[in-house]
Amino acid sequence: MKSTDKKKTIIVGIGNNGRQDDGLGWAFLDYLETLEPDFDIEYRYQLQIEDAEMLLNYDHVIFVDATKEKTVTGYSFNECLASEEYSFSTHALQPETIIYLSNSIFNHFPKAYVLGIEGYEWELQIGLTEKAKGNLENVNNFFSETIINNYL
Amino acid sequence: MSKRKLIIEPVTRVEGHGKVTIHLDENGKVDDAFLHIVEFRGFEKFIQGHPYWEAPVLVQRLCGICPVSHHVAAAKAIDQLVGIDPDTLSPTATKLRKMLHFGQVFQSHALHFFYLASPDLLFGLDAPAEKRNIVAVATENQDLAKKGILMRKFGQEMIKALAGKKIHGILAVPGGVHKTFTPEEREYFLDGKEIPNVDTMIQWCVEIIDFIKTYHTDNANWIDSFAHYDSNHLSLVNKENGALELYDGRLRSIDAQGNELLNIADNEYAYHFSEAVEPWSYLKFPYMKEYGREKGWNRVGPLARMNTCSHITTPYAEAERVIFKDYTNNKPNNMTMHTHWARLIEMLHCAELMRDLLLDDEIMSNDLVRKGVTRNKGIGIIEAPRGTLMHEYHTDDKGLITKCNLIVSTTHNNEAMNRGVRDVAQKVLSEKPEITEPMLNQVEVAIRAYDPCLSCATHALGQMPLHVELKDHEGKLIDEKYR
Repeated sequence: MKSTDKKKTIIVGIGNNGRQDDGLGWAFLDYLETLEPDFDIEYRYQLQIEDAEMLLNYDHVIFVDATKEKTVTGYSFNECLASEEYSFSTHALQPETIIYLSNSIFNHFPKAYVLGIEGYEWELQIGLTEKAKGNLENVNNFFSETIINNYL
Repeated sequence: MSKRKLIIEPVTRVEGHGKVTIHLDENGKVDDAFLHIVEFRGFEKFIQGHPYWEAPVLVQRLCGICPVSHHVAAAKAIDQLVGIDPDTLSPTATKLRKMLHFGQVFQSHALHFFYLASPDLLFGLDAPAEKRNIVAVATENQDLAKKGILMRKFGQEMIKALAGKKIHGILAVPGGVHKTFTPEEREYFLDGKEIPNVDTMIQWCVEIIDFIKTYHTDNANWIDSFAHYDSNHLSLVNKENGALELYDGRLRSIDAQGNELLNIADNEYAYHFSEAVEPWSYLKFPYMKEYGREKGWNRVGPLARMNTCSHITTPYAEAERVIFKDYTNNKPNNMTMHTHWARLIEMLHCAELMRDLLLDDEIMSNDLVRKGVTRNKGIGIIEAPRGTLMHEYHTDDKGLITKCNLIVSTTHNNEAMNRGVRDVAQKVLSEKPEITEPMLNQVEVAIRAYDPCLSCATHALGQMPLHVELKDHEGKLIDEKYR
């Protein structure tokens, strides 16, 4: 699979495949690996502050995560704008915060997006629900047909 | 005024989830205060029946912050099940495990100081809650934040090089390690081309220690008095010379005046330690049997280690230790906030140790695994970032685990953290007409100094918002706040 330009891209899948549909981000990366992509991928349980430094090597980044938000197509795809909003603990860093840190500490401004895939169940269990699997298939098609050609 | 109870839940900028309750009497004076650990751990139970060789892999899942520490402690114990003791492990395996361990301590200390503690120090205890975080540090002190990120990265890269990945990787196998270090891996940490090299780490550690020393000079009043209370101190020390020891040594405990209470081989720990329980916490309270529940509890971690060791074997860290000890005229230091200073000295020590190991050709040897006569019991004790970590496993003749006992660092510090909560609550909250959020943060600061890993100490899953409730003596909610 070839992207439309030579800019370096990383796709960061966030989640935990031991928590049912929370594994959607990783499942998407599993799909990408089968395509032998010319971009890098990273699996994350959660985003860490040092991920801001990792982005120094890239011009484009897509954060992929399961979402509880209701969607029409089973997924959402939006530009990720820097935000200094921060939760009270070290955990649950948002992609927007990572972009803010990349901008402010490293003076680096990658083009960033968030791809949310709608999930439904989050209990201690391995395996996606059937509805989530359907959403994943939709996202796979959307990525191959639209994101690759228009955003990377 | 009626009796009231304050609840801080969860405690923030610590690893894991806990809550604090503060009981006020009719006059608004602090009656008592408790740190509750409300998570539940089942690791000791569900590992039973598993083959012993799975232990170093399974138990590290206790935690996403210090899995390496559990991996190494379990590995030391499992070595004994295949007849290998620390002094019969191959030199290469010993050195590679140590390098992994030092990388872990280095990155964990960096995480705590830069990400969790620095906002309190830079912005003050009264700063608005929304400002007390690493994002604000990054905005106002880019250089400090950048160094913090790159120092943590160095430690994590060391872990990845040795264990395959930064979290939940594998290096140790029973009786050794499964891989050696390559010349390319060594150059990665020495040449400074892709990441700042190990000499830069040493230099930055020295700079950060200078920063904390200046900070102490400027803020001595509160740094010295905040959560300052006497305690015993426990850690491993080097078997031969009593030096600071993180991987393998004797267990030494001293009291607040420096009198030696305990000096034993690590595998004798079970004869000297017991654990008490309280109905309001899942976290146990370890203590030394000889001294009882009231007098036998210890602090562990960086401050304790500076107190129990005779010296440090690396030159730059030793020079800093001497300055640290001079501050208390060579007596034990019982000032909780000095833990941050001690933590940074340990970072420097680990950086120096990693450099020494990287320059040692033996890390690239293929003498990786040894075997002896099998046994049915193994004990592994190390100094994890947060303090003394104990793993013990028993097996049947088929090699299946029949019993497991884990006493993690945060558990040792349980009593110390509760004393800290009580001390600060009494000084800060008693008889105040209004309890403000910055006041409550001070209670958290006393806990945060220990860098507790509550998920390690118990293990839990789940989401928790911060919720502070103010209740009267009948339990009626009269105020609440979220953040």
